[in-house]
Formats: sequence, C-alpha cells, structure tokens
Amino acid sequence: MAAIIGIKMRDVKIAFRNLTRQKKRTILLAAAIAFGIYIITMINGFTGSFIENVSENFSNLLAGHIFIEGVEKSESGRTLSLVRNDDILMDAIEDNEVPWKYITKRSDMNATLIFEGETAQQTVTGADWDQEEYFKERIILTQGTFEDLQAERQGIIISEKVAEKINVEIGDRLLVKCRTYTGQQNVGEFVMTGMLVDSSLFGGSTAYANISYVNELLNLKPGEYMSMGIYLEDPDMIDETAENLYEDLKTRVSMFERNTGDDDENPIIAMLEQEDEEEWEGLRFRFMTLNDIMKEVQQIVDVLNTAALIILLVLFGIIMVGVTNTFRMVLMERTKEIGTMRAVGMQRGIVRKLFLYEAFFIAVIGVAVGLILAGITMLILMQINWGLDTPAFMLMKNGYMTFKMPVWQIFLNFGIVSILTLFAAFFPSNKAAKLQPADALRSTK
Amino acid sequence: MRKNIILIMTTAVLFFASLGFVFGEPDFDKMLEEIDELGSFEDSDFSCVYTFVSEKPGEETEVTQARMFRRDANEQFVMLILKPEYQKGQGYLKVDDNVWFYDPESRKFTHSSMKENVQNSEARNSDMDGLSLAEDYEVDSWETGKLGNFDSYILTLEALNNEVTYPRLKIWVRTDATIVLKEEDYSLSDRLMRTTYFPKYVKVGDKYVPSQILIVDNLQEGEKTQLTMKNPSTAELPDSVFSKAYIERVNN
Repeated sequence: MAAIIGIKMRDVKIAFRNLTRQKKRTILLAAAIAFGIYIITMINGFTGSFIENVSENFSNLLAGHIFIEGVEKSESGRTLSLVRNDDILMDAIEDNEVPWKYITKRSDMNATLIFEGETAQQTVTGADWDQEEYFKERIILTQGTFEDLQAERQGIIISEKVAEKINVEIGDRLLVKCRTYTGQQNVGEFVMTGMLVDSSLFGGSTAYANISYVNELLNLKPGEYMSMGIYLEDPDMIDETAENLYEDLKTRVSMFERNTGDDDENPIIAMLEQEDEEEWEGLRFRFMTLNDIMKEVQQIVDVLNTAALIILLVLFGIIMVGVTNTFRMVLMERTKEIGTMRAVGMQRGIVRKLFLYEAFFIAVIGVAVGLILAGITMLILMQINWGLDTPAFMLMKNGYMTFKMPVWQIFLNFGIVSILTLFAAFFPSNKAAKLQPADALRSTK
Repeated sequence: MRKNIILIMTTAVLFFASLGFVFGEPDFDKMLEEIDELGSFEDSDFSCVYTFVSEKPGEETEVTQARMFRRDANEQFVMLILKPEYQKGQGYLKVDDNVWFYDPESRKFTHSSMKENVQNSEARNSDMDGLSLAEDYEVDSWETGKLGNFDSYILTLEALNNEVTYPRLKIWVRTDATIVLKEEDYSLSDRLMRTTYFPKYVKVGDKYVPSQILIVDNLQEGEKTQLTMKNPSTAELPDSVFSKAYIERVNN
C-alpha cells in the first residue's frame, strides 16, 4: 500500500527515528499543535451542539416546531390574538400529511400575581396538559405534580423564585390581575399546585395553568385558544413541512407574509410589523417556525464558528513559525548527517521527504493528542450537572453540556493543520535537500 | 255613571302621570353625556400640571409631576414627565387611538395604551383624557344614596363594548349638579379593582375639572395615588405640541 502511493517504509522509519532522537523537542512541537486542536475542537464541539440544544429547548418551551397564531381585527381596529375555529388549520395539517408528533393549543396572558401584598409579573401559559406529555417531562417540579394541576381547575405552577418572592406555598390561593383578549381588566384566583425549578430564562417569568381557566380569564370561549404549536417527529423536516403547509394555508385562509424579501430582517419582527403597516380586515394567521425564531441564534453560531476558524488560523500561524524555526535548527544540527547520506547516494527528494514526514508525524501526533484530550474534557464536562438555574440552561440539555462535532469537521481541522505544518516545514526541508554533500560535510555547524 | 268612570280614570291617569314626573327616573343617558361634556374640552385646548403622589406598603412615597396638554376635539394629548429627575423627559403622546411612550435614554418611542398606568402610579393614561361614558357605557341600574353631605345618584354602568378597560363601573353623581364624586371600577369577574374619589373640582372656563383625585387600589391593600391638578388653562396650544418631535425636542 505504502509502495503504491510512493511512500517507502524505510523513509518512514528513518523519519520516525529522527523524531525520537529529540524527544523533548518533538513533544513540545506536538503539544503546541495538540493545544491548538484541543481549543478548536472544544469550540467546534460546543457550537455544534449549541444550535441543537437551543432549538430543542426552545421547541420544548414554546411547544412546537411550527407555530400558527390567529389575529383578528376588531370593529374598532384593535388587533386581537385568538383562534376561534381551527377546522381549516386541522384540515390543512391532515391534507398535507404533516408528520406531527404533538399538536399543542395554548393561551398566554401577562398577569400580576398578588399574594398578601406581594406581587410578581408573570406570563401565564394555559395548556391542555393531557396533550403535552413531552413538555411535562421537560419541566422539573420541586413540589407538586402536573396531575395536581390538572385536578385543580384554577391550579397554577410557578417557579421557586417567584414563589419565594411573593411568599406563597402549595395550596395557597393567590389573586391574579390580567386583561381579557380584548384588553379589559379581569381578576381571578389561582391555587398554587406546584413549584418548578427556575431555569432563569423562562422559569422566572412563566407560570403554567389549565387552559380552561386561563381562557375564562382571557374571556375566550372553551375550545378557543391563541396559538397552535406543531411538534414534528423530525426537527430536520421543519423547513420543508412549513413551506408546504404555509403555501396550502394561503389558498384557504388569509395569511401574513412569511418572506418579506429582506434577509437581514428578523422574520418574526417583519411579520409583526405587517399588522401595523398593512391595511387588512377580518381574520389573518401568523405562521412561523422554530428556525425563524432561531435565525438570530444561528447567526451567533456562525459568528462563533468564524471566530473559531480565525482562532485556529492565528494559533497555527504562531505554531507554524515555531515549526519552521525548529526545522531550521534541525537542519543545522543534521547538516553533516545530510552530507553523509547524500555522499552515500541518498537522493535530494528523499532528504526533503524525510523532513516532511517528520513534520507530518508531528502533526498527526499533535492532532491525535489534541482530539483525545478534547474528547476526555468533553466526557468530563458532559458528566457534570450544571443545574437548571443557570443562565446557560438554554445551551444545555437538561442541565448537562453536550458536544457535537461532525466527522468532516475533524478531518477538515486535521487537513488544515497538516497542510500548515507541511508548509512550515517545506522551506527548511527544501534547503536541506539542496545541500551539496561536500559543503555539508565541510560544515562546522 | 259613565261620566264618573271617565272622570275617575282621567284622575287616575293624571295622578300616576304626576307620580311618574315626581318619582320617575332621571334621563341617565343625558346625565352621562353631561358628565362627558363637563370633563371634555371640545371647543378649546386644555393644559395643566398634575402631581401624582403614590404610596405603596413597604416602599417610599413616590412623587411624579407631569405637564398635560389636551386637544379633545382631535383626541390628542401629550403628557411630559417633569419629576422625578431620573424620569424627566419621558413623555406620552396620544393621537387617535394610538398612544406612544417616549424614553429619552433610548431616544425611542414605544407603543403604549390608554390602559397602561402612568409611571408607577395607580392612575391610567385614560384617567388623564376626556371622558366617553355615554359612548362606552349604559346605565344598568340606579339608586339614590348619600356620599358625605351630598345626595347622589348611584349608577351602575355596563360596558357597551368589550374593549373598554373596565366592564362595569359604579359612579356616584350629585343630584344637584352633574358632578361625579366617586367611581368604582369592576373587573369582568365583577371584582372591585379600583376606587376613585373626586373630592375637589375647579371651574376651568365653563367646565368642571377635578383638581384633586384619590385612587385606591382595592386588590393591593395600601396602594393609593393622589393626583393634584394645578395651573389649568384653556389657552390655545400650537399644533406642533401634539407631535413626537415636540416630545423629543422639549427636554433637550
């Protein structure tokens, strides 16, 4: 095999032997490359799972991958959020054979929870918890259960921090001040049935209740709701499914435009702005996907990956200077040896090859060590439970760090490092190859 | 005999008619219109300075001062915060049904609504504007009573649409003058949310405007806001006052 690609085992052995002659130097060079690979692998691994974890956490918290919201214009021109009748939506989902796992129907309201003079602002999400099994698995309760919530129509689950702030305990009745879907003031009473772990990003501001009671407070009728979430079996199907469903819905009902033509504009904001900018009447639907919401998160990932690549290049730029200098020293040390080998008939090309093999081996060793160290570090970090009350919760999976790096990325990094190392070693090796045997033997260096 | 029957019937009709005249219910629709008219400046502009003193249990008393400009004929108002110092420059602009809030720190206008509270007080933006009781409410029931020294009609008003802030109101109106003394605001679930007292009125032009208002939060015990109005004027205001540019410019 080696002979086929023009590599002679003899040359490889000599190059390898040469590496072991200056162990410390070889180790230091390989360590420098390993360090670079270690850093870049950690960054790539983190960003690789970043988008996946954030998407998954968002899809769980928002209850879906595709979202449809009803928007109605009242006689006075006010914009009201509600879906009165979803037959058309359900027909479209069925006709398009949308591969859904769960379909959630939720109503949300901004409310003030009041208990014995203490208040807390909360978004209260009402849902039919029988239809949201996956969500119940994601939310960690420290007290009470979702069964308790379902058993008490006016039940509510709030975060530990909010419960502490307003000094409320399981079984306490607390007042809720809110507005109906048309903006009228309303007051109700919740019974605290559960306490959830505060996940900082959402836990601190979101409480969960039964949709029947939330609808009553919002003055929505039974069966009405504000937004539909479609949780797909495969998140990779989001864009394709959404495109087909959206085009079909456009033929059935009035829809806000998804594509505003401005790639830089956040699609969600663009859609919301249409409400004010366009003249419209009656009922319209907003349609958005998790990927639309994630667009800006994806931009963050792209920036991180670009930064990682720049770091890689800068880091290896520095390392390559070291590699070049080292090989120049090697050249000086082995001048006489090279002269001897050349005098006994070794060809120039082989001398060059020996140097390049050495550089390549250092790169391979460095990359291998860097990857192994990064793998070990990742494994250790993945075992640590960082908890759910950390601001980085959204970047993790159930409080655990995860890393994901495609194989092509590993090979790409290895290729970049190998090419750069060979490039760095090329000039000293070329100089070594060009040495005249007589001059080299005369050398006093 | 027949003449007697006609006479008795005529007398009875006149008697009950006179009873209706004496004890019959006043024209409440007209009363609501009068209340709206008394609090609205359709023929002139209106400006004044409001001081809000807000008390909340466990918190320091907060004093906010705001200059108010109203042009009710065009459904416009501008409110500029003068005090406290850290909120100075903030402002509200209402044009038709749109309310904008200006924050000088971000130099941006954001959507607000007439249903939002003014700063951290119990008063809402709608409390600062002209009234539209006749348009938004109808009298559901009424009774008479006494509030302090004043004989009053106590009217229960039901909203005519589902977009007004409070679906049900109870107002105490003096029987001898169309002046509101007290207002109770109820939620859709019929819970008392807020009580407003109007102990003092001042005559501005031919209108009566409350110069002192006390708003009590009935849900959060101990929370109340007292409004005092000063320097009322009906002098004409420049059109430029009712613009975003004015709010941006005025404190720079």
